[in-house]
Amino acid sequence: MNIAAADPRVIIAVVVGGVLVALMVPPLWMLLQDSVTTTDAFGDVTGLTLQHFHKLVIEKRALTSLVNSLVFAAGSTVLSLLTGGALAWLVERTNAPLKVLAYLVAIISMGTPYVLHVIAWLFLLGKIGPLNDLWRQVTGETGVLFNVNSMAGMILIEGFLWSPLVFLLLGSTFRAANADMEEAARMSGASVFDTLRRISLPLAMPSLLALALFVFIRAIGGFEVPALVGMPGRIYVLTTDVYESTVTVPPDLGHAAAFSVVMVVIVAVLLAFYGRLSKNAERYHSITGKGYRPRPFDLGRGRWIAGALIVLNFVVVLLLPLLTLAWMSLLPFLRSISIAGFASLTLKNYRAVLTAPGYIGLAVNSLIVAAGAATAIMAITSLAGWIAGRNGPGGRILDQLATLSLVFPGICLGVAVMEVWLRIPLPVYGTLWIIGIAYVIRYMPFGMRYIYSGVLQLHRELEEAAGVAGAGTMTTLRRVVAPLLTPALVAGWLFIFLIANKELAIAVLLASPRSQVIAVAIFDQWVNGQGGELAAFGLIWTVLMTIIATVFFVFTRRGGVDVHGN
Amino acid sequence: MKLILLAVLLLLTRAAWAAEPDPAMIEAARKEGSVVWYSTLIINQIVRPMVDAFEAKYPGIKVEYSRSSSSDVALKIVNEARARRVQSDLFDGSNTVFLLRDPRLVTAYAPKAVGAWPAELKSQDGTWTALNIFYWTAAYNTNLVKPEDVPKTYDDLLDPKWNGKIAWTYDLTPGGPPGFVYNILSTMGQEKGMAWLRGFAQQEPVTIPGAQRVVLDHVISGEYPLCVMILNYHAAISMKAGAPVRWLKMEPLLQTMGLVSITGNAPHPNAARLMVEFMLSEEGQKVLADNDYIPAHPGVPARMPELKPDAGGFKVNLVTPEMARDQTAAWTAIYKDLFR
Repeated sequence: MNIAAADPRVIIAVVVGGVLVALMVPPLWMLLQDSVTTTDAFGDVTGLTLQHFHKLVIEKRALTSLVNSLVFAAGSTVLSLLTGGALAWLVERTNAPLKVLAYLVAIISMGTPYVLHVIAWLFLLGKIGPLNDLWRQVTGETGVLFNVNSMAGMILIEGFLWSPLVFLLLGSTFRAANADMEEAARMSGASVFDTLRRISLPLAMPSLLALALFVFIRAIGGFEVPALVGMPGRIYVLTTDVYESTVTVPPDLGHAAAFSVVMVVIVAVLLAFYGRLSKNAERYHSITGKGYRPRPFDLGRGRWIAGALIVLNFVVVLLLPLLTLAWMSLLPFLRSISIAGFASLTLKNYRAVLTAPGYIGLAVNSLIVAAGAATAIMAITSLAGWIAGRNGPGGRILDQLATLSLVFPGICLGVAVMEVWLRIPLPVYGTLWIIGIAYVIRYMPFGMRYIYSGVLQLHRELEEAAGVAGAGTMTTLRRVVAPLLTPALVAGWLFIFLIANKELAIAVLLASPRSQVIAVAIFDQWVNGQGGELAAFGLIWTVLMTIIATVFFVFTRRGGVDVHGN
Repeated sequence: MKLILLAVLLLLTRAAWAAEPDPAMIEAARKEGSVVWYSTLIINQIVRPMVDAFEAKYPGIKVEYSRSSSSDVALKIVNEARARRVQSDLFDGSNTVFLLRDPRLVTAYAPKAVGAWPAELKSQDGTWTALNIFYWTAAYNTNLVKPEDVPKTYDDLLDPKWNGKIAWTYDLTPGGPPGFVYNILSTMGQEKGMAWLRGFAQQEPVTIPGAQRVVLDHVISGEYPLCVMILNYHAAISMKAGAPVRWLKMEPLLQTMGLVSITGNAPHPNAARLMVEFMLSEEGQKVLADNDYIPAHPGVPARMPELKPDAGGFKVNLVTPEMARDQTAAWTAIYKDLFR
């Protein structure tokens, strides 16, 4: 009692921890249970077994799949960190021109449903896409220059998918970094490159590592790219193996659960490793009570090279996929880019989408549930992330709890959430609430990462100063921490809001007749092979999401400026 | 006299084909006020037209529906039953009912509307009735395959020139590779069939991660010249829209069926029965035909009649639902062994 009175952080930690336990642990328990039990036709547990794990070990090609998974995840992590990171540094810390293009890429990419990106890339790089078409016409060959259904294709597409997120997250790191040390290095005669290597990168290292780990874990659990890009090339990874076991008749959910448990263990090890790294995080705090106003590097003539890189990123990551989607959306059926194709362009797909009944209701439901989930997550993680980032009471546990759901493959999380909330006598199942709860569980780790890396950069001395001036913990939180964290908060909210609207697996499983969301319509068009309608619908949805994203982005920037008194 | 006889005959046939539901059932269904349909069918294409037709005929009974895959629908039904919070009244799908092996999960009901249908279209125990029919076959891109090269038999598919050029789905159901394996083995015999399948595996068919419709789209777009295990009506619809594609009468075509069933302990049992009766009636089956699905009703032709075996003149090989239930796992094992 006395301790609590002395440190209100304990109370906060207990309350937030309680909420996290209630959300995260029951699905994990279900998963563990599913992985070691056999069930009868009614789904009742009939006994304990280790057969699911056994099968995982002895399964043919299991090792190949594991190796493929690791190569795929490592490759796409490196690619996204390189492209997204370089871009973030150029945009935030230098005087490179055309920065607005980089933001445009990030915002619009965030708003585009995941599956659309992949489809566009598959077409661009595919057998009949413009790249191979051009190569054939130039060389007169009949084959392909680049086979997209390969490990290289998978890494390329997954890496591009994550690079906008890396850009946004590292952007806030670089933006907030203290310029004093860089300035000092430059004055001592260090070149831009040396400064970057010796000062900027080491300072950003905790965020970089956290992000690398994060992307790696997501890529290992990623499904869309391995399925859509890898499968036709006979490249199987762990998730596609598991997917196969959930769609065979009858589905083998125990196998999928056993796989997830193995993932939990792997990720727990990675997280523990990361925990040791970030123990010394104090060293890297660089937002202090002193002048907080990063000055951009002057790249000199290099400016224009930097500008060219930004344009290249804009063209490759955004413009080409969008143009591809536009092309697909205007065709009655998919064909390569040709004169005959131009002659058959039609607005039929747009008409079909805009006149189909029910989409407005779906859109409203989607917006409500995504906004609700994002708000709930940011409320929880702003407290949990602050305690964790400050090594407060139970900080490590809070961090692990909030990151727990990272290990669930989407389909397993959907099943587990359904099992849990069907047993709880609250009228949640069959409403939008259960989709919202599933989103909160699934995207909690994202919110946590935004806040955590935000907190790591706030030097404790600001809070200590507030304490010395007589402010209590709550006042400090409200008047000092919260305003400084606003950019991270809003960015995290925005990210979750956008990504929740892309979720297919969970929404399709948990949607009931009275709680349909837009993802279900996307799923419909996807399995039905209405690629043209899907592209048209996706573009309309992307425009809507982009408008929302822009509004919030502008708000963050302005908010950030006000907070920093510039 | 002849006229009267004809009239009586007509009346009799009409009574047999289109038995009107019991007025008491309609009344009870009205009192229930709504019915919930867990579907695996495409909402805009067929669910909504069917619902509109039903609601127009029986005002006061609202149909609520949601859509997901067979295994997702089965998963929901099992979990809801275990929690004693059954939400759905009826469900469809080629495989859904077989994933629900516990008798508490499905209500047996023999619809009046199908009294005169052939036995293969309905279950003995009333757990399912055929709603629509699927005919699976091969198709080719007319720009990429010269007329003289068009394969006519399964053996033609083993020609080395098709190596890596035949696409099929990753869907591991009787409508995908497992059904293909069955079709080959049952027509050619175990030994010859396995030899043929090994030869086909050497052709390295490309597994497209998507439904059969998506596979066909890859052929239409020119990515692959040939595909197997696609639906003949999908190809016919695209052909009408000008796409460079034709479906092949590669005999025997494989036949599977979309089934409809009533959920165990359905909260609106009468409305569920009424809805099932409607979907299987001539009227409901015409809604299927009008939206380019192939109706199960023997007396309702497809919108393009040549898509059914009698009018189209092709032989089929039927996968009965019982076979699908009991043998899919074995077919899948052969597929995984040879093709992965």
